[in-house]
Amino acid sequence: MVIDSQKMQSLAAATAREDIAGRSLWADARRRFLRNKAALFGLLLLVFVVLFALFGNSLARWSNDEIDFSVMGQAAELGGPSLETGHYFGTDDLGRDLFARTVQGTQISLAVGIIGSAIAVVVGTLWGATAGYFGGRIDNIMMRTVDILLAIPYMFVLILLLVMYGRSITMLFAGVGLISWLEMSRIVRGQTLSLKNRDYIEAARAIGVPARTIIRRHILPNLIGVVTVFATLLVPNMILTESFISFLGLGVQEPMTSLGALISEGSGTIAYGTLWQLAFPLLFFVTTLFGFFFVGDGLRDALDPKDR
Amino acid sequence: MIVYILKRLAIAIPTLLLLIVLSFLLMHAAPGGPFTQERGLPPEVLANLNAKYGLDQPLWRQIVSYVWGIVSAFDFGPSFVYKDRSVNDIIAQGFPVTLTYGFLSFIVAVVVGVTLGTIAAVRHNTVIDYFAVGLSIGAQVLPNFVMAPILVLVFTLALHWLPGGGWRFNDPHFWVMPVIALSTSYMASIARIMRSSMLEVLTSNHIRTARAKGLSGLRIVLRHALKPALLPVISYLGPAFVAMITGSVIVDIYFSTGGIGKAFVDSALNRDYAVMMGITILVGALTILFNLVVDIIYGWIDPKIRY
Repeated sequence: MVIDSQKMQSLAAATAREDIAGRSLWADARRRFLRNKAALFGLLLLVFVVLFALFGNSLARWSNDEIDFSVMGQAAELGGPSLETGHYFGTDDLGRDLFARTVQGTQISLAVGIIGSAIAVVVGTLWGATAGYFGGRIDNIMMRTVDILLAIPYMFVLILLLVMYGRSITMLFAGVGLISWLEMSRIVRGQTLSLKNRDYIEAARAIGVPARTIIRRHILPNLIGVVTVFATLLVPNMILTESFISFLGLGVQEPMTSLGALISEGSGTIAYGTLWQLAFPLLFFVTTLFGFFFVGDGLRDALDPKDR
Repeated sequence: MIVYILKRLAIAIPTLLLLIVLSFLLMHAAPGGPFTQERGLPPEVLANLNAKYGLDQPLWRQIVSYVWGIVSAFDFGPSFVYKDRSVNDIIAQGFPVTLTYGFLSFIVAVVVGVTLGTIAAVRHNTVIDYFAVGLSIGAQVLPNFVMAPILVLVFTLALHWLPGGGWRFNDPHFWVMPVIALSTSYMASIARIMRSSMLEVLTSNHIRTARAKGLSGLRIVLRHALKPALLPVISYLGPAFVAMITGSVIVDIYFSTGGIGKAFVDSALNRDYAVMMGITILVGALTILFNLVVDIIYGWIDPKIRY
């Protein structure tokens, strides 16, 4: 029997190619994400905002707490955005450079969003995975706790905390982190419940792998998709929370600022014709939120093709 | 059904008690008492003040009498800053205002959101759909504290149509901007949720059967698709309600409407812990009550839920 060596080679090449071309879940998701125009646009916006936050200061000619005395008190007439004075975004009432302040505000807002979301990822995932995996009474107690905490009007409690224990950025992070993980733990628990009856978990249990190792090695990796999407969508929510607090004047303290505080300042002075004080912080605020929303939605669509 | 409601109540009451005790302990543990001033008070005066407000009692007695006052007489105690006003007075002054614009915003958000979402889903991939989706995406990044200054800029400073702030119960001009500012972003979320759930329902078997029977499009949507499609919206109403109550803080500050949010921020700046706690507990109670109502509606609409 003669084997057509040429055909064999072609087959070998085909299987090999099949092997290379075989796409993992992640490659598939990446391909879908890159085809999604809205998500790519969101990513672009985010890159722009992050670059602005990281390197904006090297473009600024003023620092964020430096007062330009030639403008002070005449912000409406002299403080407008201009390239000559070096105030690209204009100044505020005190003559402080709005460009530098917007850079700094964006940094704080991004930091609060990402740290709040990171706390949610760590605490929420562990809490939800533990409750879901063990089930029974442990699950009941843990999820009841979450239910009770969710019923607390957290914004009021957060303000209570900030007023009673002093306004500081640590307190803000702690307060935001305290509440952000609740929803996350619910979602993770739901996913864990459906994961834990899979065959490979059963097999792991059968050969006597301890629960902690099963959660770490088999449950957590399978949660990455849900957690990533939810964490991305959580970032804008955290930014909103922080901005809300800062809008009330209870957030970060001067000379530090955040986008919420800048919007608050800007909206307090719109009647005096200094529109740029509202416009520029608002622009960056809206751009950041848009970016995260689009990327989050895109990630969800990419990881969950059935939903499209 | 009754058992189901009782079960939910059995969870709601301990939650509320926990909230009261928790906020009391928080207040107690805070550095500095309510009478801490820059120039320290003479110790005798401080002792008298503490005795007057019952702060010299052991902690558990204070908690018990505080909780008992709320449970038995709905009495949140005296304000720590205003000598002639109780927490109840302060809440009673702002609450009707907040309730009015809060209720209106809620209705606007739900009615407009559900309508917009339904129309977008029924006219899927048409200009109307794109418009609705664009609107809801745009509105999502416009929370109340962004909407408020924009509205004032347009309707007060540019067009001179509406007063820039203040509140009158008998003049709807004063209601418009607070309601729009408060409802826009939730309306957007409701529209998005409604659209995607309606799209899903419209492809389900019972809708195809209804079409095959020859029912008109409108009748299918209203009688067969609306109810199941509303389920995700209903479960979003709880969080939306809480967020709107929270948003009243912004509305009260920005539009000087004098609602409960204003009282809360004022008391926060005055360190009037009694008022802050009173409002927090009241909002918590409202939240729990509202979630209970939502659960009951959910159980009534969703045939899959068995009590």
